[in-house]
Order: sequence, then structure tokens, then C-alpha cells
Amino acid sequence: MRLMRASEIIKRPVVTMRGDDIAQVKDIVYSAHGGAVGGFTLAGRGMFAGPMKLGLTWHAVVALGADAVMISDESALEATSVVFDAAATGRGGGDVLGSQVLTDSGVDLGIVIDVIIAVSETLGGQCDVVGYEIEASVALGTKGTKLLIPLPGTITASAEHLMVPASAKDFVSHDLAGFGAAVTAFRAQLEGAG
Amino acid sequence: MRFSEAAGRQVVSTSTAGTVGRVDDFVVDPRRRAVVALSLKRTDGGDTLLWTDIVAFGSDAVTVTSADKIVDAAPAIIALSGKEHRLVGKRVLTAGGDDIGTVDDVEFDADTGAITSLLLAAGDVAGARLVGVGSYAVVVRPK
Repeated sequence: MRLMRASEIIKRPVVTMRGDDIAQVKDIVYSAHGGAVGGFTLAGRGMFAGPMKLGLTWHAVVALGADAVMISDESALEATSVVFDAAATGRGGGDVLGSQVLTDSGVDLGIVIDVIIAVSETLGGQCDVVGYEIEASVALGTKGTKLLIPLPGTITASAEHLMVPASAKDFVSHDLAGFGAAVTAFRAQLEGAG
Repeated sequence: MRFSEAAGRQVVSTSTAGTVGRVDDFVVDPRRRAVVALSLKRTDGGDTLLWTDIVAFGSDAVTVTSADKIVDAAPAIIALSGKEHRLVGKRVLTAGGDDIGTVDDVEFDADTGAITSLLLAAGDVAGARLVGVGSYAVVVRPK
């Protein structure tokens, strides 16, 4: 499992196995109520820069690496409407950004500034949203600092708020290196509690 | 043998012993993971020498039976030629989407034309791992 910030994926080139860059990521389309990456909308590259009417569903992605989104060939692209339909349930693109994270005990933890996703190393695996990067509130003791908070498997969100279990604040990380373990520990604790 | 050593090598006819061309570039078919032709500095007859028309790729010269083996490139060769399909100088991506460096040079088998390895600052990549060569990157299978 490899963690990355959603913001880092924007503008990443979409490259075929033949080595041609045929597009770049414009935005991420979330599925499962924001709990997973359902696909991408795309923009053209170089001479053909600008919005494209084509997108990419997650299942057509061979690999999401540090430097490129790999696909088999051009036929992996689909109309953006297909990508949105496949994702169906999601809150759109980056609209969790700026939302307030509240615990179920009513404490404001901060404002979402980025989304942390986990890419499965196995082909055909999920691309889950496992956390948010937040600008911390007073409640976390270090107002204004950037922190990573883990998310439960299912996300509860409204237009204004994202609700997390109160124990999430015990599993915050300062960098991606330690965050994978924090997510695992947090989710194990929730299952234990449930 | 490396591309860097082999470039500029003279092409000599075994029938006349005269120099009939000079190696300029290598046309690689990524699917066969092999050099399929040499691009030569322009001659009267053409600029392409198919690998199958080479008598020997020697340490000092490439030999051919006669100058008429140098021809104009067929469409299949043109489709594999040019900057988009050149290996040297291009970034290398794994099939997993990670950048592992730039191709500095290419090692090939002078007898068969097979690509034996891609030379990168980070280490050699076996030619058998080659998947594609395109406008953006050389794609290689993970180890």
C-alpha cells in the first residue's frame, strides 16, 4: 500500500504502455461517498492542452505511480459522463477541501486542505481515501499546523461537515511516512470498539 | 556493444571494399526488443540498412554485400524511427508509474541485434524488461 496526497496527482501525465503521454489528470472523481477514487477527469497535454471530454475510470488504470498514471492504451479512456456515472455516489472532485472536520463528540479538529489516498500495489485493487490533511484547530493543541487524520472505512459527510470518531485525534500523524500505520491502528481500534 | 560506440561506424561493402555509409542511429522495435535497422547518414541509395541485410556488425565496421542494401525506409521502419522512438536521453517509467531515471546508453548483441540492457545512472535495466518506447517515456516492466 502506498500513500499519496490527492493534490500531487493533479497534472500527473497519463502514459500508455507504449510510452506515449496522451493526457494529464485534471481532477479526481471520488466514489463511495468520497471513500474511494472512482476515476479522473483529464486535460490535454502540450499542443492539445485544455479540457478533454474524456476521463478515466479507476478500473482502467493499470498503475498509479509517483510520476505517472499508467494505462494500457488509448482505448482505456472513456467519456467523462461514464466516469461520473461509475462513481455515481461521490461528493464531487475536491469539494471536501475547506470542509470542517468534526468529531462525533462535537469537537472541531480543523479544515481539510488535502485528501490522502492509499493505492493498492496489486492490479485491480482499490484506491481508498484513508485520511485528510487538515489545518489543525485549537482542539489539537497546535492551531494552524498541518496534520494528517485517519478516516474510518465509511465516511459520513454533509455539505459543511465531515464527521469522524472522536478517537481519530489520537492517531494523527505529521507526515505520510508514519501515517499508514496510524490508519491501520485507528481502523483496528474502531473494529475493536464496535 | 553500446549504441554510443557503434554510432559513426562506417558501413563497408564486401564486394567493393568501399565505404558505402556511416551509422547515424538505431531503429528499435520495442515488441521484439531488438535493433531492426540502422539509420545511416544520407547516401544516394537511401538512409536505411535493415538488420537482416547486415553481414557483420564488427568492432571497426559494419559490412554489407553491396551498396544497394542501403534503401529508403519502408513505412514499418519509419513508424519506429524518429525522436519519439529513440531510447537514449528518454525518461524511464516502470509499468507501475515510477520514474527511475534516463537512458544514458543501450547495450545490444552485435550478432542478433537484441537489446541486452538499458544503461541508467541508477543501474542497468535488462532488455527483456522493455515494454514500450514512446513520445514521453521508455516503459519497462518492474523487476
